[in-house]
Formats: sequence, structure tokens, C-alpha cells
Amino acid sequence: MNRVDFKNIIHAEELKAKNAPTKHKIFVCCGAGCISSGADNVMKKLQEEIKNRGLEDIEVVPTGCMGPCNQGPLVKFKPGNTVYQKIDCVNIGEVVKSQIVDKKPLEDLLLFSEHREKPFVNAEEDPYFKKQLKIALKDCGDVHPEKIEDYLLHDGYKALDKALFEMSPEDVISEIKQSRLRGRGGAGYPTGLKWETVYRHVNDQKYIICNGDEGDPGAFMDRSVLEGNPHRILEGMTIAGYAVGANKGYAYIRGEYPLAIKRFEAAIKAAKKLGVLGKNILGTNFSFDVEVRIGAGAFVCGEETALIASIEGRRGTPSPRPPYPAESGLWGKPTLINNVETMASIAPIILKGGEWYSEIGTAKSAGTKVFALAGKINYAGLIEVPMGTTLREIVFDIGGGIQGDGQFKAAQTGGPSGGCIPAEHLDVKMDYEELMKLGSIMGSGGLIVMDENSDMVDVARFFMEFCVDESCGKCVPCRVGTKMMHDLLQKVCENKATQLDIERLEELAVYVKECSLCGLGGSAPNPLLSTLRHFRHEYDTRVQPVRKSENLVHQ
Amino acid sequence: MMALVTIYIDGKKIIAGSEKTILEVARENNIEILTMCHLKGLTDVGACRLCMVELEGSPKLFSACTTKVADNMIVTTNSERIRRYQRITTELFFAERNHICAVCVSNGACELQDLGYKVGLDAIRYPHLFPQCEVDTSHPLYVMDQNRCISCSRCIRACAEVEGAYNWDMMNRGYQIRVISDFNTLWGESTTCTSCGKCVQACPTGALWAKSIVQGQQDKHPEFITDLMERRKMNL
Amino acid sequence: MIVRNSLQDADLPQDDPRVKQLNVKMKKEGYKPDALIEILHNAQNSYGYLPINVLRYIAKVLRLPPSRVFGTVSFYHFFSMKSKGEHTCLVCTGTACYVKGAQKLLDKVEEKFGLKQGQVTQDGKIGLQAARCIGACGLAPAVILDDEVQAKVSPEDLISKLTSKLETHEQG
Repeated sequence: MNRVDFKNIIHAEELKAKNAPTKHKIFVCCGAGCISSGADNVMKKLQEEIKNRGLEDIEVVPTGCMGPCNQGPLVKFKPGNTVYQKIDCVNIGEVVKSQIVDKKPLEDLLLFSEHREKPFVNAEEDPYFKKQLKIALKDCGDVHPEKIEDYLLHDGYKALDKALFEMSPEDVISEIKQSRLRGRGGAGYPTGLKWETVYRHVNDQKYIICNGDEGDPGAFMDRSVLEGNPHRILEGMTIAGYAVGANKGYAYIRGEYPLAIKRFEAAIKAAKKLGVLGKNILGTNFSFDVEVRIGAGAFVCGEETALIASIEGRRGTPSPRPPYPAESGLWGKPTLINNVETMASIAPIILKGGEWYSEIGTAKSAGTKVFALAGKINYAGLIEVPMGTTLREIVFDIGGGIQGDGQFKAAQTGGPSGGCIPAEHLDVKMDYEELMKLGSIMGSGGLIVMDENSDMVDVARFFMEFCVDESCGKCVPCRVGTKMMHDLLQKVCENKATQLDIERLEELAVYVKECSLCGLGGSAPNPLLSTLRHFRHEYDTRVQPVRKSENLVHQ
Repeated sequence: MMALVTIYIDGKKIIAGSEKTILEVARENNIEILTMCHLKGLTDVGACRLCMVELEGSPKLFSACTTKVADNMIVTTNSERIRRYQRITTELFFAERNHICAVCVSNGACELQDLGYKVGLDAIRYPHLFPQCEVDTSHPLYVMDQNRCISCSRCIRACAEVEGAYNWDMMNRGYQIRVISDFNTLWGESTTCTSCGKCVQACPTGALWAKSIVQGQQDKHPEFITDLMERRKMNL
Repeated sequence: MIVRNSLQDADLPQDDPRVKQLNVKMKKEGYKPDALIEILHNAQNSYGYLPINVLRYIAKVLRLPPSRVFGTVSFYHFFSMKSKGEHTCLVCTGTACYVKGAQKLLDKVEEKFGLKQGQVTQDGKIGLQAARCIGACGLAPAVILDDEVQAKVSPEDLISKLTSKLETHEQG
């Protein structure tokens, strides 16, 4: 297929959509959250309902995650963007009747009806959505993840077309550099610079890896994009391949996400069939192929060098850098590794320009960030906000505040590598630098909200237990140090620790942070250090007086 | 022709080849850097973190065994911070498994014991983990005692890289890693082991030892691995 | 526990459909050693877990050192070398679920069935596992019961669901 054919296909699809007799479209959220709440059955029942009522011109579309997962299953009616929550096989009939037949929205079931004085008929007017800006997640609730035509209608593969025919690889890289996009996997390294480094290393064989090994407990944004809009990732990877000169890519997806694997594999097939992936893409000399690699349950594989070892079929243990993967990565070849959310941001940047993206967000962190809200918050789920949005806005304006009558105590960001932000810093502008200043990190975007009942020492112990379990065991500080810290934290939790134990904890924390081989060990002490910094009194109140014998041994 | 660079280690000005690591250059110039997982001739893995050094201009620490020298690099190997961390690492080694020198075959000829003396260890400030460990005596010539293993992986690398047999690997992860033979099966029943004894020579402690040698005489010669690899390079 | 290394031939019955499937997969991957993890996924799908003789077979066909195969399998938590039980109960212990009481679920199952995580009941009917975040944080605490996600589970719910699994089992 060449470029003209491609344009014709898009044109035909657009015409078809324009002239379609369909007046209404009903979108059923089939994200992981809604499926677990019974979206599959709702979908079946809805189709029956429509058939029985003779409303066959209505199209029912299963989509990816719409956001507020714990209000699910969610159903959206277009035009009008009316979203209903907590739909089941019983009330779906009523909803269809009043929304389509009587043309009167059913207020009791509208999204957030229990929390709003007057729920919004057009959900996009609700502050939950109004405060958000969706770029990476943009089409997640609107496209059928298994239909490439649907993606084409949402500007799909237009960025690839633009990159291939109107831009040189250097242009693509400078566009990404101009956007000031930073790696969304956690560390926040400038994406454009990374691309340029791989581009500069001359080699016949280079690789692209999309890191979808989302191991951070409490984060599920990668899963939502992979399941809800897999073509966006494929398009991002292909553009990356064109820019750095790679013709092979691997998408590393967690084994715990079977639906994401299935949809991504289907997307690869569809894209190859259409000619936007595989040999001579859109009739050009550029070829790019993508394979899925299934992760097998190891958090450390989020670390670049460990991820490479895992794709090579070995134990996922990290290696010292340098050499960086950009120089010597998969099978010793220059390799570009980007996280799923980063890849999802590529196509919009190419299409709308780096300048557009760089104007969103803060001075040092451009663009938007997806957060996974969870914990003691009313509207748990996925949100995407411009960098620099305050924590208060996220928790209260978007997240609907604390469950029940609870008080906000702290928010944990960055999972086991991050730290907690106490109530006095609710007005922190969420970006890489500001979070770092508070002793936390952006991480992949997990945001767990805790109320006054949460025990911060136990939170630190919980994350340390995670790191002990997930440490690969290669280097001494991480292998033994995390275990020692965990045992000492356990002692504090059981009210058996002394002031000496706290001192030892602090010394070990700094040692493990500075001496570990990779980022897992290097950041494992963060939850401990940050709770010590912001909630020191919770440690101090549990400390027991030092016994004489102990003083003798541990000078 | 190898490019030459000037570096400063602990204030001493040194001209060195740019392909070398900080550790190599330091050793060639009689500057001591403590190591455990390093054995010249085997691939460096940077696992024990004893050889951490400071580089001027960076707040981070670097493992000397895997960091190449660069022009005008200013290296510090003996600051108070480095010495403190070396001590912690050593303490963690001792606290991790069951190291009882008095009953060890390698008593008096053990790299871990030497390390303890070098960092001036007088007490372990951390609780010992005292894990349950296996002792595999099934091999006709050698014994593998997990109690004394420090997971440096020198045996694994010696077997895979020098002998090419690949009898050993690591199983599990975290503090539960263990060196295994074949399918975590008895060493004596290995289908890959050639009984060459290189792993025993490479082992820094009493974890791997030869049955033929009596208690206290277990003097190992890891440098024999180094010499062997040097001779291979010379294509004799 | 160190087990005896069987020196028997590492062959599997070639008419077993699971072996056929495994052969097809290995061929498709070109017998490349780097496809080891993909092949292990395939084997675990058809066997439910990774029996040691299957590992021997894979090592032999791919010409990989046995210790490397075993080391890799034991590294990844997704792989299991023990049968997981006829019914599997996977309790998510990710942060969100932990905050919402996942530990209580584990405690209740232990109290009722005497199972700790990673164990299978003596009759092999129920296996209890804990996972680090299944990515359903909005539904915390979540449990996967025989591949079906159960949202916002209370300890009592979980026990009654497990009991009914056992009952249908007895009838069947």
C-alpha cells in the first residue's frame, strides 16, 4: 500500500462515518476495572435490549478505560457525552429506554449522581473531566481497541504518515526535543535526547523496546493504554523506529495483563494488514516489525538493563551502566527503551508539533501526566492532568476527596521507589522537580491516598517488603540491606525497636541508596526516608528505651 | 594504539590507557581498592559494591571494577564515607549467611575473613539472618556449603567463561538466591560438571572446597584463573 | 531441599498434545535460547505449572545449560514449579488492596482452610497465592478466583465463594 491508497482508505472511512445512518453510539467501558465489575454482561444485555426495541441503527462500541473505575461499569451515550455509572443487567434496560426512547436522561444513574447536587448530563462538564487534559489517554474511551478503522477516524497513523513523508529522522527527533517530553516511566530523562543518542550510534541493527512492565503496585496506566488504544503505542514505536533507524521493536507486556497482550497482538496483525507496519511501510523504504514479549513477574525488569536481560531470555538482573542501552543494549546493539505512556504521547506531538506540547505543563516538566488514583479516595481510577496541577486539585477536585468522613493524611507517589506527601504540602505542583524536593518521585504515576487511619511506619514496612521480594539479589546493598531494613521496620511496627534501631535504619537507608547497582535498590529506601522525614513522630512514639546489654554490643 | 589519559587517584597523578577500569589502574599503581566479586580474567559484574569510589563532580558513587577511566578523572578511594560503606557491606556479608570461622576449612585463607580484618570489623551491628542452608557433599572431590557462600558468582563465571561447562547458576532472587548445580540437583549427579575444580579455586570463602585437603590447609589460588586467561589471550 | 538429578533421558511422550504444542512453539521460535521465557509461558499455559521433566525437555531441545533454565524459572514469580491447585485463589496485595484490607482476606483464608500464601490444600483442591498488584486498583481489594476477577471482596464473601467452589466440585 502506498501513501495515496492510505489517504483513500482514511477518506473512505471518514465518508462512511459521516454518511452512516447511525444517530447514536453507545460506548461501553471495557477497561480492566469495568470488566471486573461485569461490563461483559452489560454489553451482551445492551445488545439484546437494542435488538428487542428495534433500535438497530444504534452502534454499540466496547472501549478502553474511561477513568473513574470504581464507579463502573460505565456506559457513555453519544452524541451528548452522557455517562451512566454502576450499570448492571437490570438497570441497563431503563437507561436505554429513558435516554434513547424518552430522550430524557435518567438522573439517578448519571455519573457521580450521589455526590453532585445536580449531576451533569454532559459528563465533560463535570469538574472530574474539566480539570483534566487527556493526551496520552485521549481516545481511550472513544475507540474500539480491536478496530483499526476506528483508530484511523481518530487521526490514527496520520502522525506516522507525516513523519515518513514530510519529515527526516532528524526533524522527528528535533520535534520531540522541542516538545520537552520526559520519560514517563519514572526517571524523567528527556525523551528527545535519548532518541538522539540512539540515532547517533551507527549500527546496521538497532532496536526499539516499549517498556510495559508496569510493576509498581498501584499503577495501571500502561495497562489501560495497551488495552484501550494499542494502535497509539504501535504508531509511537514505529515513529521512534523511523527516527533512530531501527527496524525491529519489542513490546514487553506484563504476563498479568492477558487482555493487553491479546489486544496488542491483534493490533500488530491489523496494522500489518493495512500496511502501516511490516515491510515497506506506506510504500517507503522503511520497514519496521514489532513482537510482543511477555513479562513473567519481576518488578526489577522495569530497569532498562534487566528488561534487556529478560527479553534475551535470561534472569532479569540489571548490569552496571555504562554502557547505556542506547550504545549497547539488546544483543549488544543500540537500543531505545521508552515507557508505554511516553510512546502514547509521540503521535500527538508529531501531529500537533513540539511547541504545542511544550506549552502545556511547567517550566521544567512539559505536557501531561497520567495518575492512577487509588486508596481512600472517592473516585479511584485513571486521570490525566497537565504537569503542575496541584495535589489538592487532584485529590479533592478530581478525585472527589476522601472516602467517608476521613481526613487526608498523605499521598504516596512513585510506589515503592517514591515517598509520601503530607497534608501540609497539598498545594505542591505535581512535576518531577517539585516531587523530588519533597523526597518523593513522580515514578510511573501511582498515587495512593491515605487517611488518618493509615499507619505510616506500616506503609514504609509494606513498601520495603515489596523491595525485599523484588530485589534480584545481585548486589549486596539491595539484597541484604533491604532485608535488614525490613526486619528493623518490622521491629518498629511491633513496638520493639530502640533509638539505636532507628539510627541503624537511617544509616542503612543512605548506604543502600548510594551503593546499590540499579534504580530498584537506589530508590528502595525512599518510602522509609520520606516517612522518617514527614512522620518522624510515628517512629519516635514507638521507640523503647535502650537496654544496657544492647548498648554494650552495638556501640 | 590505545589512547592515554591522565587521572588522579587519591591525589596521585597517573597516566593510563583509556580502555582500563579504575580498579585495574589503581592495582597497577599499588593503590588498594577492596573487592570481592572481582577476579581478574572473569567478566566484571559490579555486584559486591565494595569497590565503590568517589569521582569529583558527581554526588554518586561508582564501582571501580566496571567504570572506565577518563581524562582528568579525580578519584577518591579512601574517604570517610567510602570506608564506612565498606564496613557496612562487610557486616552485611557476615550477617547474611552462617559464617563461623573457627569451624571453616578456609580459616586463615579466606578473602572474607581478610576483608573483616582490613575494615577493622569488631562486631556485627545487624541481626544475623541465620538462614537454613544446604551442604552438598555428593561430589566425589568437592563440597558446596551454602552457609559460607557470599553470592559473588565467581564460581558461576569461572565455570561458564573459563571451563565452558555451565554447571552453576543462581536460583531464586533477593536474599533467597542460592548457587545451584543443574536443576538444583546434587552436584555429584551433575550432567554438566567436568570436575575441573576451577570453581573451587575461584571461590573466595569456604563455600566450595576440596575434600582431599585437610582442615585449615585449604589454600586457594584464584590467580590461577587469571593466569590461565592471560595465557589463552597470548595464543601459546 | 536438593533433589536427586535423574539421569534418565529427558524425553517426553511425543503423542501428548501438550508436548506437541510445546514442540510447535519451540520450532516457531527457531529453537533460539533467547525465546526461553516465551517457551516457558507456553508450557505453563498447557501444563498449569512447570513440571521438572518439562524443564529437562526444554533444556535438552534448546541445548541450554540446565542450571540456566532452572535459574530463570525460579527468578520469575509468574512461573511455578508446583501445581497451583484445582481452584486458584489469587489475592492482590498491591498497595491499593493492602490499604483496603487484603491482609484480612489472606488471614481469613488461613483461618478457614489453614492455607498460607503459596500453599495448596492437602487434597489439592484450593491453592492460595498473593500477587503484587493485578492492576485493578479501583476495585480494591481484588481477588482472582479461577481467572475471574472479584471486586471489593470482603473476607466473608471470599470464604463463601471458595466454599461454593468446593461444593460444585463435589457435585461434579
